[in-house]
Amino acid sequence: MTRVVCASGVELLMEYLEGQLPPELKADLEAHVAGCPRCVAFIASYRETPRILREATLASLPPDLEESLRAFLRARRT
Amino acid sequence: MGVDVPSVDTSDETLAARAAVGDECAFEEIVTRYQARVFRLACRLTGSDADAADALQETFLQVYRRIGSFRNESRFSTWLYRVATNAALMQRRARARRPAESLEAFLPRFDPDGRHAETPAALQVVARADELLDQRALAEKAREGIERLPDLLREAFVLRDLEEIPTADVAEVLGVEPATVRQRVHRARLMLRGYLGALVGMDS
Repeated sequence: MTRVVCASGVELLMEYLEGQLPPELKADLEAHVAGCPRCVAFIASYRETPRILREATLASLPPDLEESLRAFLRARRT
Repeated sequence: MGVDVPSVDTSDETLAARAAVGDECAFEEIVTRYQARVFRLACRLTGSDADAADALQETFLQVYRRIGSFRNESRFSTWLYRVATNAALMQRRARARRPAESLEAFLPRFDPDGRHAETPAALQVVARADELLDQRALAEKAREGIERLPDLLREAFVLRDLEEIPTADVAEVLGVEPATVRQRVHRARLMLRGYLGALVGMDS
């Protein structure tokens, strides 16, 4: 059995969340996290980071840009 | 010959096949379907609205010229994301940039026994960064943080985590193995997580 500590556990998170960890390592990680409030807190923030940045970088296409795109493409297609 | 106007139900691949043989309506529909997504992706990859606008035009020009080379070996969206990603990267490279200050300092810290150095409260507060920070300031800082990632990490993170494209498809877009995508996204998340922590004032 591998002894997972916070530092080695952190390195397994992406593989874990994408279902890529071998069963034994997955069990070891889960066992560590179950007894480690720091890892529980860390994982919560690790999972939320993409959502926070995704929502903060939403950009909509300005209508004038949409028009200029059409004009640009028309000019090059004729 | 009757005009067959594409409907929302027409698959991307069918549209691509029609556009490849000169169906202008099909090409128009592809532009309509993807323009907002391409613009958003380009904003995230270039960090600049002006560069994103140029990348948007270049993407659809390339799609128009090269749609005949699209083979149904991958999904059309994957092929288009590859064109768009390359167009955005070309824009980035065309602009001289100041070297970005590394985000290495924001990686998690551990004590000599490999335990997290911070308290659970300090570690968790990052998850509430969007509640704790002013939205406009967060938008600006988010863009800045993503800009500071090394190029390879930024591409993987933007495609996988911000555009929410499945890892296998991101691997195809970037021409690397899925494990490499996961590795790069993981590293980017660690850096940006710590960066958000610093923004909310906790040294995490």
